[in-house]
Amino acid sequence: MQITGRRRLSTEKQMPEMSRADYGHDRWIGNKSETRAAPDDRTARNIAPEFTVAVIVERDDHGEFLIRELQRQRIAVRHIWPKPAQIPLQYDAIFCLLSDDLPQRIPWVPGEPSSALILVDDGKAPLNLKLIHNCAAHGLLHYPATSRMIQSVLMMAREHFQYERRLRGRIDKLDENMRTMRLVERAKALLIRLKNLSEEEAYNFLRKQAMEKRVTIGAVAAAVIDSHELLS
Amino acid sequence: MGAINRNQQTSAPWRVGVLFSKTGFMSVIEETQLRGTLIAIDEINDRGGVNGRPIEPVVYDPGSEVRSYGQYAKRLMVEDGVSTIFGCYTSSSRKAVLPVVERLDGLLWYPTLYEGFEFSPNVIYTGATPNQNTVQLCKALMQQFGNRFFFVGSDYVYPRESNRVMRELVRANGGTIVGERYLRLEADRSEFLPLVRDIKHAQPDVIFSTVVGESTTFLYQAYHDLGLNPKTVPIASLTTTEAEIRAMGYDVGEGHFTAASYFQGVDTASNSGFVSQYQKRYGSDEPTNMCLEASYFQVNLFARTLEQTNSMDTRRLRTSVMGAEFEAPQGCVSINPVWGHADVWTRIGRANRKGQFDIVFESSSSVKADPYLIGYGRSLENASCR
Repeated sequence: MQITGRRRLSTEKQMPEMSRADYGHDRWIGNKSETRAAPDDRTARNIAPEFTVAVIVERDDHGEFLIRELQRQRIAVRHIWPKPAQIPLQYDAIFCLLSDDLPQRIPWVPGEPSSALILVDDGKAPLNLKLIHNCAAHGLLHYPATSRMIQSVLMMAREHFQYERRLRGRIDKLDENMRTMRLVERAKALLIRLKNLSEEEAYNFLRKQAMEKRVTIGAVAAAVIDSHELLS
Repeated sequence: MGAINRNQQTSAPWRVGVLFSKTGFMSVIEETQLRGTLIAIDEINDRGGVNGRPIEPVVYDPGSEVRSYGQYAKRLMVEDGVSTIFGCYTSSSRKAVLPVVERLDGLLWYPTLYEGFEFSPNVIYTGATPNQNTVQLCKALMQQFGNRFFFVGSDYVYPRESNRVMRELVRANGGTIVGERYLRLEADRSEFLPLVRDIKHAQPDVIFSTVVGESTTFLYQAYHDLGLNPKTVPIASLTTTEAEIRAMGYDVGEGHFTAASYFQGVDTASNSGFVSQYQKRYGSDEPTNMCLEASYFQVNLFARTLEQTNSMDTRRLRTSVMGAEFEAPQGCVSINPVWGHADVWTRIGRANRKGQFDIVFESSSSVKADPYLIGYGRSLENASCR
């Protein structure tokens, strides 16, 4: 089964330790001057992979607070406003202001997200649960937000996102395994019959071949079945 | 979804999504699935709808583009507020809709035969899986024609997967595959002549085709043009229905085999009414086919289930449809509660000069779905309708 459209399989990234803030010079933003926080220890901690977050909210007091809090967590934050027609794909997590047209701005189909998505509810519009459902997001942040809320919603959203991804990977793997197992069962039945082996021996034969040839046991099983067909 | 409780007294329509291609290379068959869906909805509405409320289809044409199926499924669920969708022919299009209905908890009703090996809590499968068509077809072909098979298919998920199943069956019964070729889905006429020449060269006993869509016509016509004889080397297919035979010409299709749950010529009380209804609406020379029939009966099963649940909630609909039966044109069918796949009939037909299939094999009742081939098709396990 092929995995398409997935940007990268950043499976088990640690929370970022490195310090970098480079919001403010995105192509969607006009005139905000750059603010760089604590660039001093960047090189020292540069081992951890960079964790990037896009923040697509208005730059009012609440927005400023959100950006500052994320920076305090030493996360690479990029502020984007006004909201783009399509939410960009290249971030690990995205905070995005909830609006009626948000589902149309999300470039992926529900169920195949490219980033952890955290909705930001400024509380101005009436509560719309259907809209929240349709965004298929991983977390939700209400204004006014506190530092604790921001930290915990980001962690939970990332965990949900990665957990979903692991489950999807597991399903892909199971599908593949099921196919392999059918081959192995049939190859085993052939070996038991033709080489007069016990089931255990037949399996060990396949496994040993796979190890020696450095291929999967499924490939060996397929070869056994194919060659038997050729010879008979 | 506690927040959207419906008013019990309302006469507002039940909105459902419909996703079949009216344009592009899959339209030959998907157009008939669209018709089957709409006829069923009209019939139900003419009888007064479901619990006094009509069914209202929201129809989009994905234009045979795989990506569009996913996008339109999202649009149906997000913008049109629909949770039940009838649609899809190809496995690739089903797989494009799958993540959407799974994440937003919708229900896709899929009226097409496919290669099996799938299960989703958000899909009801109403077409045949390999144990309901391939197993018997393989047996019949080997008995009558011989054991050298040539595989030809369109290059996408379904043909490769169903050939994998067919290969296992052919080999298990002592047969061989003398060739295997795939052409792109949009293949044009000129690509089929060299292919059929290669086939002729390989001297198979049977050509097993999983070519779908418009190019089905080109394959059979190239075969015909090169003067091969269906009496000795027939093409056998799971996807060539009355619709494709009509498109290629009756003389071209004559003598070739198809395994299906339904043919227009099926002799049931429910079928004669179905065929005459269809022809009254679309013209007396318009044939019915298995995909049209599955599209028709699945809407009826849905309506019957909705009558009980009086709710479009996916979980409730799905729970209630398990084990539900319907007297379909093909005979009595039911939804197998283990798999969420339909228990459908097994039949083999040989196309005749009138573009219809003479039925040469028929199971004694519907056959239990076994999408993962756990029983490996050793016998046809009959399902029983009450």
